[in-house]
Amino acid sequence: MRSKSYIWTFFIGLVFLAVWEMLVRLLGTSALVMPAPTRVADVLWVSLVNGYLWPHIWQTLVEVFWGILLGAMMGCLGGIILGESKHLRSLLMPYVVLSQVVPKLALAPLFIVWFGFGVLPTVVMTALICFFPLLENTVTSLQQVDPQKIELFKMLRANRWQTLWRLKIPSGLQSILAGFRVAVVLAWVGAVVGEFIGSSKGLGALIIAAQGSMDTPLMFAVLVVITSLGITSYWLVQVLERRFL
Amino acid sequence: MNSELHIGQLEAKSQCLLRLRDVSFSYSDDIGTLHNINLDLQHGEFHCLIGRSGCGKTSLLKLAAGLLSPKRGEVFWNNQSLSAPQSDMGFVFQRPTLLEWKNVLDNVLLPIALHKKITTEDIEVAKKILQRIGLGNKYYKKPPQLSGGQQSRVAIARALITSPRILYMDEPFASLDAITREELQHDLMDICAEHKTSILFVTHDIGEAVYLGDQVSVMVKGKIHQTLAIDIPQPRHNAIRHSPEFNHYSATLRQAMEDTA
Repeated sequence: MRSKSYIWTFFIGLVFLAVWEMLVRLLGTSALVMPAPTRVADVLWVSLVNGYLWPHIWQTLVEVFWGILLGAMMGCLGGIILGESKHLRSLLMPYVVLSQVVPKLALAPLFIVWFGFGVLPTVVMTALICFFPLLENTVTSLQQVDPQKIELFKMLRANRWQTLWRLKIPSGLQSILAGFRVAVVLAWVGAVVGEFIGSSKGLGALIIAAQGSMDTPLMFAVLVVITSLGITSYWLVQVLERRFL
Repeated sequence: MNSELHIGQLEAKSQCLLRLRDVSFSYSDDIGTLHNINLDLQHGEFHCLIGRSGCGKTSLLKLAAGLLSPKRGEVFWNNQSLSAPQSDMGFVFQRPTLLEWKNVLDNVLLPIALHKKITTEDIEVAKKILQRIGLGNKYYKKPPQLSGGQQSRVAIARALITSPRILYMDEPFASLDAITREELQHDLMDICAEHKTSILFVTHDIGEAVYLGDQVSVMVKGKIHQTLAIDIPQPRHNAIRHSPEFNHYSATLRQAMEDTA
């Protein structure tokens, strides 16, 4: 039944690509405006084979990795601290929400002023984007632990640390990992947006370069790479979830 | 005569595992939950608390376990004032409250694992208790793989792993079917007789209270309205549920609950 649904999902994608290809050919649309999927595939293949894409993929991968690591650490740690302290939660949560309401793209020029060009501003941007879903999910999951289980741990004379590590975090792991799943997908957005403005290397920078040279098929090829990497990272987190839950 | 009485009182006091003296408790200033509760629980005694929903049975149980602190009065455990749960107490909640990510054995060993490294002897003891309550082949199952009755048994095994001197039980069989409930009642009585464990047991069910209890206290609106000694010899079997004494005690308790409704 499940494999049948995969076949249908694949089939829908195939139909979409076929319609796209047909429309481009029938309407004779310029590749500058809308390249056909076969043209995009051709550019993608050539760029991968001649090694043109790999340094950019590696750069973005590095930024995404460090961004997720930094954002996840800050999000989880912040979530645990705010989840455990009602006082700190009421004091700091409005500022955390405020930091998320500010458009990240508007912050990118500021990050360049503060951190210069290159990897660092993009990592900071990615971390900032990853931070919130993890913090929010961690805070919520720590507050939603079954009160009877908290009483059980009290009855078993567990201290606050034991209650956190042996009850609250394992209880909320599903929700924390759901936040991580969202963060991983958003990390690619953060890295690409960071590279748009503050980098000359990476997949985001490559899109801007392709736009400058009117190379629309290359822009599409890079989009395909970013999407594939995003889906792969999402799938990896799902595998991780199945492994630990 | 006076000194004899004094010695008698001291003996009675020293035999009391748990004493509640003029205990009052409320969750907020307006809502009174318990008023002037006095209760004595002897070593090895099975004491049932019955009453309608919201009459304060669970609050009384939590006060007696040190999970709540009284607004007035005092709770004594082993003749010492009680302010927090003790290592020789066990608690079985209304729901089994098992940790879903741990297997049966790890759930049972949790009270030990929180305070020291688990030894092979601890594992053997846990396995023995699980075998005793009919879960000898479920050591490595996760709670969602067990039935409601099996989960309740695991919760009881977890409470027994530290060999507590008292077991607090808050309607532990309320959500089970009649047959499973009877089986667990029987197992509980056997285990407690073996280990001489005292039990404070909350229930809605008059029949369950008469079948299990040495003493049954009827609670009404936050007060203990009446305490009845159940003079049916132990060990008890299902046949006594149809005996005239059983019906007499059940009728008396029902009357006490209805009178005060």
